[in-house]
Amino acid sequence: MLRYALKELVKRKKKYALNILVISLVVVLLITLTSLNTAYKDASKLPFESIHSSIIVQKNGNVAENTTGALVSCSLAPIKKDLISNIKSLDGVSEVSYGLSLWVFDEDTFKRVLGVNWDDSLGRKIKSKIYVGSLPQSDEKIIVEKTFAQENNIILNQKIIISGEAFIVAGLSETSGKDIVSSDIYANLKPVQEMAYNSKNLQDTETFDRSDINIIFVDAKQTKVADVSEELDSLLNKQDSFSGKTPTGQKIGSYSIYTPESFENQISSIFNISDKIVLLLTIVILIGTALILFKSMAHAITERKKEFGIMKAVGFTNKDLKKQLTLEILIQVIVGFLIGILISLMVLFALSGLTVSVNIPWELNPYPHFLASDPSSVNTIQTYPLPIQFNPQQVILPMLSILIISFLTIHILLKNIGKLKPMEVLKYE
Amino acid sequence: MNELITVKELSKTLGKVKAVNNISFSINNGELVAIQGHSGSGKSTLLSLLSGLEKQDEGEILFDNMKIGNMSEDDLALFRRKNVGIVFQSFNLIPTLNVVENIALPLFPTNINKKEMMAKAQKSAESVGLKDRLDHYPNELSGGEQQRVAIARALINDPKVLFADEPTGNLDSKTGKKILELLQSLNKEIGLTVVMVTHDDSIAKVCDRIIKLKDGGIQDE
Repeated sequence: MLRYALKELVKRKKKYALNILVISLVVVLLITLTSLNTAYKDASKLPFESIHSSIIVQKNGNVAENTTGALVSCSLAPIKKDLISNIKSLDGVSEVSYGLSLWVFDEDTFKRVLGVNWDDSLGRKIKSKIYVGSLPQSDEKIIVEKTFAQENNIILNQKIIISGEAFIVAGLSETSGKDIVSSDIYANLKPVQEMAYNSKNLQDTETFDRSDINIIFVDAKQTKVADVSEELDSLLNKQDSFSGKTPTGQKIGSYSIYTPESFENQISSIFNISDKIVLLLTIVILIGTALILFKSMAHAITERKKEFGIMKAVGFTNKDLKKQLTLEILIQVIVGFLIGILISLMVLFALSGLTVSVNIPWELNPYPHFLASDPSSVNTIQTYPLPIQFNPQQVILPMLSILIISFLTIHILLKNIGKLKPMEVLKYE
Repeated sequence: MNELITVKELSKTLGKVKAVNNISFSINNGELVAIQGHSGSGKSTLLSLLSGLEKQDEGEILFDNMKIGNMSEDDLALFRRKNVGIVFQSFNLIPTLNVVENIALPLFPTNINKKEMMAKAQKSAESVGLKDRLDHYPNELSGGEQQRVAIARALINDPKVLFADEPTGNLDSKTGKKILELLQSLNKEIGLTVVMVTHDDSIAKVCDRIIKLKDGGIQDE
């Protein structure tokens, strides 16, 4: 029967070309649509990829009146360390790391300083970027970022002054400029906290205790990110009223909670299609496919009525006919699929040349934007290659849909063939 | 000789016309029988009833002691596959299959392996003189050759009876004669029972027995 099915398709290829074309087209459309949808969702996670974290928590604070000495970066307010244990207890949270990010306006240079614990996920991430030297073994030792070191001629074991305190360069790291929280200097958390505590300008702007921090990274299970984010919001933003706003309009004293989803709305592209539109388009495509395939198959079966009469006359049962037609459809589906997947791969390859721009909230950007006259005018857009890829799972939906449509069509059409009496089509030939 | 087919008080109405009207007769194993009559006499309808292509309205057909009138459509298909070979006036070959595949068509839905299937089809083709035309398609064959393919297809399952509906009707007289000789030789040499519908007296004359129909009834036997 396979031989007959193959012969039928090869000898009457023009007749079946439309079916194969439609199947291929549906595969291409559905795979491209879902790939684009997934790619833009994944793109929103890219800013978070560099920090291996799923949620960032910051508190919005006051803007310093002048830029001298050490200040909390991005006008962020100090956060009490006690909060960490509350966050850790939330359902879905797997790890919490934290740090203190400072901007230090020394007379010679401006420095971004980040104090970390080297054994938490944030510390481990920075540790993995050290390419020369070693981890700071004491509070006087620091890691310097490669570009900053090159620009300022800093070498290993050199002594440098930060906010009046002397530090020794223990190692050099290579962090990406695209990182949400990147810094020029990485140090143990304690000396950075001391630096902040002793900064008069900082203490005039915010009240800073020795154990305070100003940035929290929360690792949550992927499926729980939205729930944890909501719980954090209700835990941290209990206050009804806040006094004053930051330059970007955040309420002073409120907590900002950033998740990959926070960035989804920041991506602007005609290809960034919402889930609802993808679903709607998928339904429209599948309905169109069902109609075209039904009409095409009905036409092909009507044209072969005589053949079915011959087959019945020589002993084919209705079950045999169904098997024969199913085999023919299955071959068309497989051929259509293979062509569709091949074209999809080419389309996805072409689309991988696209880039996606993500607008990073200025509080997460390491550059001191308040130095600009209009902070909102500072370009905080970061561009990434569109992370589009072929996922074999994306084949399942079009495959199942087309198989269901095809077999339903055969089932409906076979009811008519089943009633066909051989003599009706053969005797008056 | 044993009775192969027994027909009792058989009737079939097509539309408002009683195409077969209360007829009874029997056909023995190894007979070459002609069913003769003018156009509209009911001969083709009778052949389709005997071969299980259609069901009677009244009466009974016993085929090798099996009542075929009570069978379901699928059981009738299986009955035809196992017991009868049918040859039509217009050959009725599948245009996308070559000679050997057309001959093997009745074996496609069976569990027989491909090698054996093709060997049987080739043997059947050889028995009708088509040894050199196995790879040809129906549109590459003459009318006579196409009818030979149809006969070979009808023979592939070693049927108990071969039903032929005007087998020479679409052929010129010379080719028709050769086909008739082929059917005669199958009857004489392998003892195959052949039931042939024809309106042609010269064809009917070579048969062992002629059942003449008129207006759905038996006029003469």
